[in-house]
Amino acid sequence: MADRAASRFPQSGGWLLVFAAAAAVVVYPLFELARELVTVGRSSIADTFAAGGVWVPIFHTLWTSVVATAVTLTLATAVALATASFSPRKRILVVVGMTLPFLIPPFVSAMSWVAAYGPGGLLDDAFGLSLPGLIGSAGVVTLLVVNATPLAYLIVLSSLDARTERDLVRAARVSGATPWEALRTVTLPMLRPALIAAGAISFIMSANSFGVPAVLGTPAGFGTVTTRIYQDLVLSADPAAFDRVLVLAAFLAAATIVVIGTADVHSRGRIRLRVEPSGPRRGSSGGTRWSARLITAYVMATGLLPFVALVLMSITRGVGLSPVPTNWTLGNFEEVLDSGAVGAFGTSLMLAVTAATITLGLGSLLVVLERRRRSGVGTAAALSFAVPGSVLAIAVLLAYGSVLRDTVLIILIAYIAKFWALAHRPVSGSADAVSPEVFGAARLCGATPATAARTIVIPLLRSALVTGWLIVFVFALHELTMSSLLHGPGNETLAVSVLNLQQLGEPTVTSALAVLLTVGAALAAIPLLLLRRAPVDAGRAQ
Amino acid sequence: MTSSTLRCRSVTVRYGSNPVLDGLDLELVGSETVALLGPSGSGKTTLLYAIAGLLDPDHGEIAIDGTVVAGPGVSVPPESRAVGMVFQNYALWPHLNAIDTIAYPMLRQGLSRSEARLKAERLLRLVGISDLADRLPDQLSGGQQQRVGLARALATEPALYLFDEPTAHLDAGLRTALQQELVEQRRRSGAAALYTTHDASEALAVADRVAVLRSGQIVQIASPEHIYREPVDVWTAGLTGPTSVLKCVLVGSGEGTIEVEFAGSVSRIEGGSSCPPGPATLVVRPEWATLGGDRSGIVEHLTFEGPHTDYTIGTGHGSIRIRRAGSPRLQVGETTQWSLQRGWVLAASAEVDGSEPVVP
Repeated sequence: MADRAASRFPQSGGWLLVFAAAAAVVVYPLFELARELVTVGRSSIADTFAAGGVWVPIFHTLWTSVVATAVTLTLATAVALATASFSPRKRILVVVGMTLPFLIPPFVSAMSWVAAYGPGGLLDDAFGLSLPGLIGSAGVVTLLVVNATPLAYLIVLSSLDARTERDLVRAARVSGATPWEALRTVTLPMLRPALIAAGAISFIMSANSFGVPAVLGTPAGFGTVTTRIYQDLVLSADPAAFDRVLVLAAFLAAATIVVIGTADVHSRGRIRLRVEPSGPRRGSSGGTRWSARLITAYVMATGLLPFVALVLMSITRGVGLSPVPTNWTLGNFEEVLDSGAVGAFGTSLMLAVTAATITLGLGSLLVVLERRRRSGVGTAAALSFAVPGSVLAIAVLLAYGSVLRDTVLIILIAYIAKFWALAHRPVSGSADAVSPEVFGAARLCGATPATAARTIVIPLLRSALVTGWLIVFVFALHELTMSSLLHGPGNETLAVSVLNLQQLGEPTVTSALAVLLTVGAALAAIPLLLLRRAPVDAGRAQ
Repeated sequence: MTSSTLRCRSVTVRYGSNPVLDGLDLELVGSETVALLGPSGSGKTTLLYAIAGLLDPDHGEIAIDGTVVAGPGVSVPPESRAVGMVFQNYALWPHLNAIDTIAYPMLRQGLSRSEARLKAERLLRLVGISDLADRLPDQLSGGQQQRVGLARALATEPALYLFDEPTAHLDAGLRTALQQELVEQRRRSGAAALYTTHDASEALAVADRVAVLRSGQIVQIASPEHIYREPVDVWTAGLTGPTSVLKCVLVGSGEGTIEVEFAGSVSRIEGGSSCPPGPATLVVRPEWATLGGDRSGIVEHLTFEGPHTDYTIGTGHGSIRIRRAGSPRLQVGETTQWSLQRGWVLAASAEVDGSEPVVP
């Protein structure tokens, strides 16, 4: 009894902290946004629609997102199915190759495509070839696909791995189904929840994407909701523009809610799976060589070649010159140093470290608290990650702009709101996999709760803790959408500097900075890839 | 003369460089059931998968009903092999209810939906779960799931059934019931069956013949009675049932009788031998020895199992396990008389030190 009474106080303190943080960074800003919308009123919103400039970006966002989602789903599913039939060694290569582009910020991969396939790009220079329409809607859709595919692929693949899928397909084959019939009648129906989740995430990523349309759409006059918000909020002095920002933000938020809601209803667990030992992994292996070649070609063309082109551009003396050794220089990097990017690098680094540390602390605290009693905070954190960056930035601006406008702190608040879920998820997933018996067994062996936590629980969660921190760190370092709307003079983030340089039309210097940004984040993420190799299986074994 | 339903000739399957099946030969004739008995890792499931067409052997040939389905340059896909398979983990599709699962093979054969459902209903009745037609797998118990799995295999109307440890995940009572069900349905369908298990009593109960699998090869194939009475070696003896293994000297053997010297005295008992007279290994099943008689020993251990009690008797030259109906009548440490009734003599082997009964 005494033990329980003693532990009650710090616990309620923990809950207080978690709730206060959630209220301050998520609930209050979104409430302010909703209030602002109500204040602006129906008539003013109608005026905004009538004045124009709203329908076109909404239409552009909708159709590019729908097309990108359809292509992403098909591509990700096909590659995931092929991956599942590979030998373990080949499989690791494919998974790494498919997910590595995730480390390249979307706007950088858009820029690298221009460097590779655009007019005056690497292929143009070498063979006189360039992709028509890369600057414009076609390019936007293509890059949305390239950016959404890694995540969609991982979702489908992990769903394929999680079940006794191999035996279920075998049962279908023995029951007389051809490979195609087995795919159609067994594999795809079972993948349905994963496909819906992957589709929803692809759509949200595409609709919320700012970097891709900013780099490939804006120069061609192809505006989307996010680029329109940026122009109205940052570049425009027109008072009517702010009403338009509110309406566009409301649209993005509504689209996100509709997609998540629909996905949730349709994927709800009609199908529950029991994971039982499956038969031998080896199967008949026809046709895997072909699919391996196709996947390699895809990874080369969408990720590797563009990035090489970007690197080459960053070390080339000037625009229009061939990227041959005689034209190489490190001058672009020197110019980067002169351009004040060092300060931006400091800002980004500081923001990333702080955001990662705070979100991991809050996330872990929440995991510990929710082990005793479930609350809605974990779900709220997960949902706030889905809130479009543009919307979240505007909400935070409305809530704290009067005091914190143009400070780094306001960016930090937005980051904590956005990335909380990223730190919380790995830790809570890993903690769920640790069965309570593991802790109890340590207690029975004579360990105090503190010792049991230190010797058993923390080691089991160590890789999840590191993963959570690093994911937030990398995402924060890449972040463009929110910081482009929230930064003030003198506290640009690295991503914002890249975008500003790009809009000034200095491709070589821009590429140098983009390369620095990507390589820096990639170096930080290397431990992530290594950790993925050692999943915490303890406590799940039967 | 009955024809061969299944013929495997020197089938080899390697995972990496490690052979799981190593030149295996096996033939099933007519509509017999062969139990494939082996410890886990002996290659049982791999053999079934190779026969079903779920993996291609690296070497050798497999023929079903006289048609070569796997061999050099031949690999008939599983859907064209006419085998029915019941999986260890049931392998029921989580998105299909019982009736749709059972109708599935018939739809693949080109039956219309209504025809397939009609036949599936009949099969549901046959396996005794017609009231569960609309249930999804996660709403069924283990035994019910496996009945659906069985009905699905029956629906393919195959020439050959493959049962991959179908009762491994069920509890004891259910296991016996389902075993009987499997045997009965198989017999009614008139098709042959290959039934893998690591449980000796299950193998002896369900099979016309038992094949013992060790390291990817069949070390013995014979009727259940024969394999129980005359295991080919000590390892097989241990695998096929409770066994005591003792050092002895084979003095002589006649028609159905043997003379063995054990612990200084000679007994003339029922049984046989597979080796010439001389130092040898004596295999004794628990019911082949009785309490009371010409030899003495000390009770080392008692195991009461309900219908009978097993007594482990220390003889001074190793221990012997003796089974007797009813509750324990002796106490540990008590001296008692016992006698040998029957034995099976194998060549002396290094792996037997005669001190411990081999109990699987």
